[in-house]
Amino acid sequence: MCGTEKIFINNNEIKLEAELFLSSAENLHKATLICHPHPQFLGI
Amino acid sequence: MYNNVVSGIFNNFIQNNISCLRFNFRGVGNSTGNHSNGTGELNDTKACVDFLVNEQNIEKLLIYGYSYGAAIGCSTVNYSKNIIGYCAISFPWDFMGLEYKKLSQCEKPKLFIQGNRDRLAIYENFKTHYDFYLDPKRYKIINEADHFYLGFEQEVAKETYEFYRSIIE
Repeated sequence: MCGTEKIFINNNEIKLEAELFLSSAENLHKATLICHPHPQFLGI
Repeated sequence: MYNNVVSGIFNNFIQNNISCLRFNFRGVGNSTGNHSNGTGELNDTKACVDFLVNEQNIEKLLIYGYSYGAAIGCSTVNYSKNIIGYCAISFPWDFMGLEYKKLSQCEKPKLFIQGNRDRLAIYENFKTHYDFYLDPKRYKIINEADHFYLGFEQEVAKETYEFYRSIIE
């Protein structure tokens, strides 16, 4: 997806794979955080 | 990093110019570490909240989670005053235990999305779980959808976007 950035977020010794989109100034300081499912839970 | 439900929500937020971050829990995809039965995953979510608040200067944050991500993500709702509510899609209460139901209790706005053919987040038990939660809250039943929402991604994305608009804008 254009405009997104693939990043890693550090959580102590863990590196979390993430994708970030930052909007223009109109929506600055507001955001959503989306938690992926766990594939084992979905049985896939 | 792909899931049809999450990608539908994520892409819809982008199209509407809303900042968003999605992530894989530890041990999933290219995230390092191993699954830790929820304890570490709660910390993973908090680390993402800290990243948005401290490094991206986000002041108002809505949490969205699907399936296992709903149970874990929504259970961090009381972690920060910057989290102003959550949307849980197919919260798997019956598989996750009472701990996550209690952790996700709050007086912040909540939206629960549920398919009426879901056998993992069991539809027949949905209303009992929903009634546990304090107001403000609301729910949306997606007719004919099971846990995977194939073919219903746009409907889910539309609901999640409208929830965002009703809370933040």
